Amino acid sequence: MASRGSRIVEFRFGNFVASLIWLILIVLIIVSLGALPLIFIVLFYAPLPPINGQVLTPYLFLSMMVDPTRTLPVVKFIMHTELFRVAVFPGFSFAAIFAAVTIFVERKFLAKMQLRVGPLYAGKIEGILQLIADGLKLISKEIIIPSGADKPIFWAAPIAFVAASAAVISLIPVAPGWVVSNTDVGLLAAFAILGFFPLIALLFSWASNSKYPFIGGLRALHQMIAFEIPFILSALSVVILSGSLNLTHIAAAQTPYWYIFFLPISAFVFFISSLAELERIPFDLPEAESEIVAGWLTETSGMIYGLLQLGTYIKLYALAALFVTLFLGGWAGPQIFPQVLGPPGPQSPLIQLLTLRPIYNPIIVNDVFWFSIKTFGIIMLMLLPRGINPRIRIDILLHTGWYKLIVLSFINMFIALALVYGGVFGPGGVLTPH
Amino acid sequence: MSTEFSNETLEKDSSNTGLQIVKESEEDRLMTLSVGPQHPGSGHFRFTVKVDGDYIVHCDPDPGYVHRGEEKMCEYRNFIQNIPHLERPVIHDSNNITYSYSLAVEELTNIQVPRRGQFIRAIASELNRQVYTLYWLAIYGIFLGHSTMFMWPTGDRELFIDLLEMLTGARVTHAFNIPGGVRNDMPVGFSEKCLRNISYFEKRLVEYENIFYNNPLMRQRTEGVGLLTKEDAIKLGVTGSVLRASNTPYDIRKAEPYDVYNEIDFKVQYMKSSDCFARAYVPLLDMRESCYIMRQLLDKIPQSGEVRAKLQPNPKGPAGEAYRRVESGRGALGYYIISDGTPKPYRVKISVGSFRNMLALPHLLVGAKLADMPSIYWALNYWPVEADR
Amino acid sequence: MTSAGGFIKAIESGSKHLIIKRFTLRYPEKKLKLIGDGYQFDPKRVVFIAGYRVRHILFHDKCTGCQLCAIACEGIAEAIGMVKVDEKWKHNKKSIMPQIDFGKCVFCGLCVDACPFYALYMTDDYELSAFTKEHLIYTPAQLAVKPKYDGSVELKIDDRGATHG
Repeated sequence: MASRGSRIVEFRFGNFVASLIWLILIVLIIVSLGALPLIFIVLFYAPLPPINGQVLTPYLFLSMMVDPTRTLPVVKFIMHTELFRVAVFPGFSFAAIFAAVTIFVERKFLAKMQLRVGPLYAGKIEGILQLIADGLKLISKEIIIPSGADKPIFWAAPIAFVAASAAVISLIPVAPGWVVSNTDVGLLAAFAILGFFPLIALLFSWASNSKYPFIGGLRALHQMIAFEIPFILSALSVVILSGSLNLTHIAAAQTPYWYIFFLPISAFVFFISSLAELERIPFDLPEAESEIVAGWLTETSGMIYGLLQLGTYIKLYALAALFVTLFLGGWAGPQIFPQVLGPPGPQSPLIQLLTLRPIYNPIIVNDVFWFSIKTFGIIMLMLLPRGINPRIRIDILLHTGWYKLIVLSFINMFIALALVYGGVFGPGGVLTPH
Repeated sequence: MSTEFSNETLEKDSSNTGLQIVKESEEDRLMTLSVGPQHPGSGHFRFTVKVDGDYIVHCDPDPGYVHRGEEKMCEYRNFIQNIPHLERPVIHDSNNITYSYSLAVEELTNIQVPRRGQFIRAIASELNRQVYTLYWLAIYGIFLGHSTMFMWPTGDRELFIDLLEMLTGARVTHAFNIPGGVRNDMPVGFSEKCLRNISYFEKRLVEYENIFYNNPLMRQRTEGVGLLTKEDAIKLGVTGSVLRASNTPYDIRKAEPYDVYNEIDFKVQYMKSSDCFARAYVPLLDMRESCYIMRQLLDKIPQSGEVRAKLQPNPKGPAGEAYRRVESGRGALGYYIISDGTPKPYRVKISVGSFRNMLALPHLLVGAKLADMPSIYWALNYWPVEADR
Repeated sequence: MTSAGGFIKAIESGSKHLIIKRFTLRYPEKKLKLIGDGYQFDPKRVVFIAGYRVRHILFHDKCTGCQLCAIACEGIAEAIGMVKVDEKWKHNKKSIMPQIDFGKCVFCGLCVDACPFYALYMTDDYELSAFTKEHLIYTPAQLAVKPKYDGSVELKIDDRGATHG
């Protein structure tokens, strides 16, 4: 019989123990020779605040790490610093987790609609580690730059893309008080940042010095510019009803009823325009695979492609969150989290510690929960057209964007004006919250 | 409408990797795109288009990437040894391309095929037509950007490939028709399984219509695009579903019936609108009609009998020539065989539907938008391997 | 608003598929059930039996070394060559038997049609991968082994869709 393939490696317990011991040894060496000195150097030179009246020296910090009763105030302090808000919550890491989960769910969801299994073999349960496998693959690939390409722009454009997407996230309020930048012109700033994306696409496609990216870049430019106007007009109706451009105030103003009940047409126009901004099917002309190879992404490879995909999915989260903030009431929802986790009343310090009493705020946790649920629902709704529709053509796209959607958003703007002048909204109105 | 194929454009533009807009003259406004074999929208075929903005002004097909000399290879093998390599040009429609060959050889060598063999040949031909049309539909869906329409027909092909595996012994490379009949009889339980699969498939066709053919976006993209009038279609010589989409009810199974097709009652499906939507919709109607034909064939097949005529090991016939045609998934597939009395044919000429349909490609692409290029190209039902033979 | 109706029907059709069972055959864990035992000739009824055509099986007690299989394959794939074997059979005076190169064989089965002594059949053993090209050449002794193939998954159609297994 011909050779039947690979040999099966047998399990030997001695080898297993030996590899474990090697692992522990290497970890110990790295920690003691590298990590600990590094932590000491950082803590020595970083300006640490006083806690409980004591100056936080590095030794005090490390002993706090080991003593749980003193760790929680430190954690609470860190949670309210700027760096935490930008990097972890509600900033970049939160969005990145959403983006990662979205990518995986999108593949599985589309696969189920198309009667197949999606990623299956990476990770023990139904391919859960597929994203990590893809990320590792992209990191290890060679980045090929075409000859004659404009190198500074070629390297800078994907980073600018991710940066612009992350900038939109910084405006979105996840819970009252939990927003990276609480400006009074939040909505306007969001649209201003969104106006960067056509520029980045065009610069990148021009810098690729090749025909298919050129066509794709022009299509991206036409598409994104055509849909910015219905975008802004539909958001304008929300501004008319709420009376402010501050995103936190808009979300807080929807307490009795969400705006989607009064502005369904605007919500629809906003949804379609955001699909066009994100270049999702049916609007994925700039990346039309069967006509212009991969559009303006043709010459990307390796981590540049990875950065562009990350930026795209972060933008998806950002626009879905913007939709939730404008039309679905942001974080409003019934309070389902209890006042304290665990038994109420005064408790011993250990129980207080285990139930996270110093840092647990039931209102904020509830708001974050409802915000996440709603955003995830809107993201799933944005994924649905991918399984149902073919790609649209550029002249139909421009016709829809410039004629039909602007008319629809004007209709809803008149309805909003009528509501304000009729005394339902606006200052002194019936439904305005105080 | 320019239909001349000039080679000098290829040499002039083959080194054009970037944009060179130096002077604003007529030639410099145009951009040459090579929709070549390394393109997700072309298959093993290359055509260059010259684009002015978004409109195509010149198209230049360049077939020949997969030419293997099928016709020459036939002259070195005898009539039965020709079957395995002759089915390879359209391997997923193999029962039709060997059907036509077998008919021509039987005419040359005066072999009479028994009746049950004729019925089984027709059943295999109809099953293969479904397999081919589903594959074509899948790729049409992905060219329009509809990934679901790629997955569903590819999955539903499994219904028919399973049946064909039960009947012929191989999933795709059947080698089932030989001059004189078919190689083996239907196994037990084939008819029931076939009827069960056909009933399930007819329900799936309704789903295809819901999500693809009645989808307003698909209709907007294909209605009115690539109009091929009836006179032009007949003048260019297109065949198959492309011809039937241009208001011409011509089907070889009805016009020159072969084997048992004169006993089967079916209608020729055609549409009047002559645009890309008609060319995409006629294959769906053909598939429905094919299910109907299969039910009649399974009903009328004689319960017992020979499936294959008795042949000598190296069949040969008197010197002469024969020409037979068959309606395959892409159109008329004809064989013209000249024999000089030896077991090996003297000359075999294969006339395929794809090559004829390719002649309509420059005619239709000039003046169309670049975004309509994949839609028009694939709606012409063009299979590059078969056109190159 | 017929276009709205079209969209709603498409969404309904797409969402309906979220509850239909998946169609995929998870190959290495589950294998398809193939009908029959392989492509064979039934000498009693003088007819070929349909079966999956992959690896050949050579019955040493019937092969006479007449080379008709090699001659039939010469025009097709040239995959059969005759080699000398060590066994001595009464009906095989020259002691030659076919050896098949599966790197060249196209699995058409015309060699089975050509054998007049019913010594060459095809079985349904399709997992023939090897690491080198030389491993793909099966000697007559290797061809005499009867395969063990146990696929059990069939295409089942019920009211919740068609599924494998």
